[in-house]
Amino acid sequence: MMKLRICFVLLVAFAVAAPVFAHHGRGRAYDMKSPVTLKGTVSLVKWQNPHVLIYMDVKDASGKLVTWGFENSNVHTLATQGYNRNTLKLGQEITAIVNPAVNGEPLGIIVKVILADGKEIMSRERGNPLD
Amino acid sequence: MGMRFTVPLAAAVAVAMSLSAAAQAQFDPRDLSGIWTIRGHRSISATPPPMTPEGEARLNANKPTRGRFLGEPLNGDHPGFVRAVPVASMGNDPAHKCNPNGFPRLLLDPEPVEFIQLPGRLLQLFQWEHTLRELWMDGRAVPSGENLDNLGPAWYGHTAGGWEGNTLVMNTVGVDDRAWIDIFGFPKSTEARFEERYTRTGPDTIELRLTMTDPKYYKGPWVSDVKRFTRVKKEDTTFYGWYGLFSGLTEGTCAPMNEVEGYNDTFRDPTSKGVVK
Repeated sequence: MMKLRICFVLLVAFAVAAPVFAHHGRGRAYDMKSPVTLKGTVSLVKWQNPHVLIYMDVKDASGKLVTWGFENSNVHTLATQGYNRNTLKLGQEITAIVNPAVNGEPLGIIVKVILADGKEIMSRERGNPLD
Repeated sequence: MGMRFTVPLAAAVAVAMSLSAAAQAQFDPRDLSGIWTIRGHRSISATPPPMTPEGEARLNANKPTRGRFLGEPLNGDHPGFVRAVPVASMGNDPAHKCNPNGFPRLLLDPEPVEFIQLPGRLLQLFQWEHTLRELWMDGRAVPSGENLDNLGPAWYGHTAGGWEGNTLVMNTVGVDDRAWIDIFGFPKSTEARFEERYTRTGPDTIELRLTMTDPKYYKGPWVSDVKRFTRVKKEDTTFYGWYGLFSGLTEGTCAPMNEVEGYNDTFRDPTSKGVVK
């Protein structure tokens, strides 16, 4: 097992108003006004269309591990920005800011990912439109 | 040694580039080949013609997730562009389960399409769906009567035509009425007929005018806005050293393993739990 020095931080970071239903339709409703910040390790990257899905293990307030999944743009849009299936690696520690599902499931849609060195990638505000 | 060739080589490159620029300014108006992306309204146009009661019923049965673009005319009280459902799982867009987009919906999609010109036909290879459309220009007419009936409807219909001056005119019949016209859920009947008129207007541009005639569902022809294809730059379709229409993609194929089991069942459906391992 990998190191699990993980904490779960719920943070109302900033309000983002962005279209959720684009290329061919997002399915669920997300809270677009209250993003959450997740700190944890990457557990699965599904590099696929229609939308890339990223899963990460996050410790909740009680110390229990919760697997969060969040959806990203499509493969082509991400490739255009220079990302690929190896950009995020299993076990890598990341911080993800996501708009969470309104029904409380540990699911979200990406705002951005922050790497351990502070570099921001896949940012919706910077060239990662959710098509 | 490399230095000695730097100046003449640079000069030669400069000359070659200017020659190439000059050559590019000239273009063969009857050559449509290349990788293009379409710009224009995502439907045939923003103003569909009035519909028949049967057409209205079909329109209302289709529940898209895309609605009217803000700022566009409503065409009176036409409901077509203002009735999108809020989440995809409440809709019934056939494409959400990897059913074919069909014609003309796929042609109206802005993802790249490659035109491949062969003797007697034009092929359109679509990135989205990884799908091929054959536009015959070998002198044949589109099928009709018993032949058309025996052929039956097809997702992309049956297409034939030829050059009128420097405009390529193509006719399509026999489309499958289960596919929508567009992302907004406008219907078409199997009796619909389409005319596409392609005119190359520059080295890197083609204009398209599309007209649909479908008296079963529409009270008049639906004439498109001017659609513009612009050439996709080589660097925009080269990823990790690999050039081509399908570069940068897992594939354009809509695979139910990804789309249905891998996305609908995990994310798109609001009752799903999300996590797959």
